[in-house]
Amino acid sequence: MPVQVRHDTQISDIAVSLKCVSKQYQQRQRSGSAKDILRNLMHPEYRRIDALMELSMQINRSEIVAFAGPNGAGKSTTIKLLSGIIAPDAGDIRSLGVDPFKERVHYVGKIGVVFGQRTELWNDLPVAASFEWKKVVWDIPDERYRLVLKQVKELLDLDEFFQSPARELSLGQRMRADLALALLHEPELLLLDEPTLGLDVLAKKKILSFIKQLNRDRGITVMITSHDMSELEQLAGRIVLIDHGKLAFDGDFLQLRKSLTEKRIVFVETTENAPPDLPEAILIESIGNRHQFSYDSSKIALPELLEKISHQSEILDIETHRPAIDDVISEIYDRWRGTPLM
Amino acid sequence: MQIIIKNLFKLFRLWRVYARMDLLLMTRDLKSIVLWYISDGLLNIASITGVLLLAERFSGIGSWSKYHVLFMLGYASLIDGLLSLFFGYNVSCISRRIGRGQLDHTLVQPQPLWLSLLTEGFSPFYASSVLLPGILLIWWSCFSLHLHPSAGWCLTLLTNMSASVVLAISFQFFWGSLAFWAPRSAEEISSSTLQLLEQLKAFPLDGLNPILVGSLLTVLPVGFLGWIPARSLLGMDNSIWSAVFTPFAAVLMTLLSILFFRKGLRRYARTGSARYSNFGHRG
Repeated sequence: MPVQVRHDTQISDIAVSLKCVSKQYQQRQRSGSAKDILRNLMHPEYRRIDALMELSMQINRSEIVAFAGPNGAGKSTTIKLLSGIIAPDAGDIRSLGVDPFKERVHYVGKIGVVFGQRTELWNDLPVAASFEWKKVVWDIPDERYRLVLKQVKELLDLDEFFQSPARELSLGQRMRADLALALLHEPELLLLDEPTLGLDVLAKKKILSFIKQLNRDRGITVMITSHDMSELEQLAGRIVLIDHGKLAFDGDFLQLRKSLTEKRIVFVETTENAPPDLPEAILIESIGNRHQFSYDSSKIALPELLEKISHQSEILDIETHRPAIDDVISEIYDRWRGTPLM
Repeated sequence: MQIIIKNLFKLFRLWRVYARMDLLLMTRDLKSIVLWYISDGLLNIASITGVLLLAERFSGIGSWSKYHVLFMLGYASLIDGLLSLFFGYNVSCISRRIGRGQLDHTLVQPQPLWLSLLTEGFSPFYASSVLLPGILLIWWSCFSLHLHPSAGWCLTLLTNMSASVVLAISFQFFWGSLAFWAPRSAEEISSSTLQLLEQLKAFPLDGLNPILVGSLLTVLPVGFLGWIPARSLLGMDNSIWSAVFTPFAAVLMTLLSILFFRKGLRRYARTGSARYSNFGHRG
């Protein structure tokens, strides 16, 4: 897809910059007991929720950044702030050279936003009508509209359902149409809030490869949130993890694995059906003579572990690998919550 | 000035695209169109039948003859129709959009919020079933009252109708803004206030207790959606100010609602919306 030159955009290597951004909400507290009903009415109690606490981060142009964190970490709040929908309580946000909230009208013309659980399509109308609508609202010139529409229709296979009412689309089709709609005005920054929520494997694959291609061909900056870490790992070079509104990690996936967990998984096939007794490792599963252990590589090296197994039983086969990224992340979330680890 | 002209051009372009979408929606299939017009026509007839039968039975209501009442019903129906024409699809029920968090969709559009709200509800085909009976009633009553509308009279009619519509939508936004503070509890407040306007605006208020009349011109200003304009247009109020009562009230209500809505928007910028209906605002 050819890159459209935009003369009205300040050229800078930084697409998004958040400096000490804080956002708080208030949540009403009620005990639920009958005696507190009147007291709560007269003197309501509120709990302060720090959705974001002095969050600072930067995203360079043409970068794909995975933005992750447990539920309530502040991901959606950040996306809303970057969409210009809400304003921060404190701190400074610059995106594409402007303040998203103060210069909303000008700014939102240069970004694309996709909320996984929402749709920008007009439910009762053919998908094509939503595209025509977008053309007018976003002031897309005829020639660019035709060109980009042709491209997104080809890349996302929209033809098969382009004339169908949006209401009758499958979840995967709807997401493809929403993504295409978000790209119609050739945004410089794409904000994707859980775009693959509820999609099947094939639909996910299609969406992810399209986002990758888009970033490669057009240099579009992408910020994506998802709970599916393996999918984020496939897509993004960099992961930003937040927890309780604070930056918890910013780096690549390999660094994340290394810095936060030394856990390894080993599958051992022995002559004995009984699993070897290994105090340094944790038995996860044992099926017949195939046993699965997890161990901390900072405490015991693999050769040492294998030697201990070989003292108890003859080893027929071994297989080791690092834990899946989803397991790493869930372990990290557990640590943050203070839940005892396995 | 350049921005105003640009926005004005865009306003017409947007009305055109929304009119096309409205037509697409209305013409999903032949059965739906026929059923829609029949059911909506019946609803509109039912909404004015009560007052009409009273006027017929007692040869008018108070100082209002049967055809005066008919004129007022026509005027009120036309206001209903114009409200549906320009502010359909939940724009007149703004509390639903706010309460359901659907304002986010509007805020990610690269145009001023007023432009979006002024155009998104444009539905000439959907509203035609309400507009046409109103026009017919006005024409019939004018014919029966032997009125010969002058250019000045037509201008007064148009000014008053515009003012009534502005007043009604401002009233809707005023109450609907409550949803910024209570998204769940006030989500349906606009539909309740709209229902109140629809039910009460077709009654002549002559002879009522002054406190009641005062309330129906201030707290619930239904008097400006039929009674006051009809009195002025039918020459029942000879005061030279009668023709500007409604435009004046519309200006006041608009200022009040802009003030309240903007305050609500500022709150929305602080709190956002944690609630979202997964079927979107498009349905």
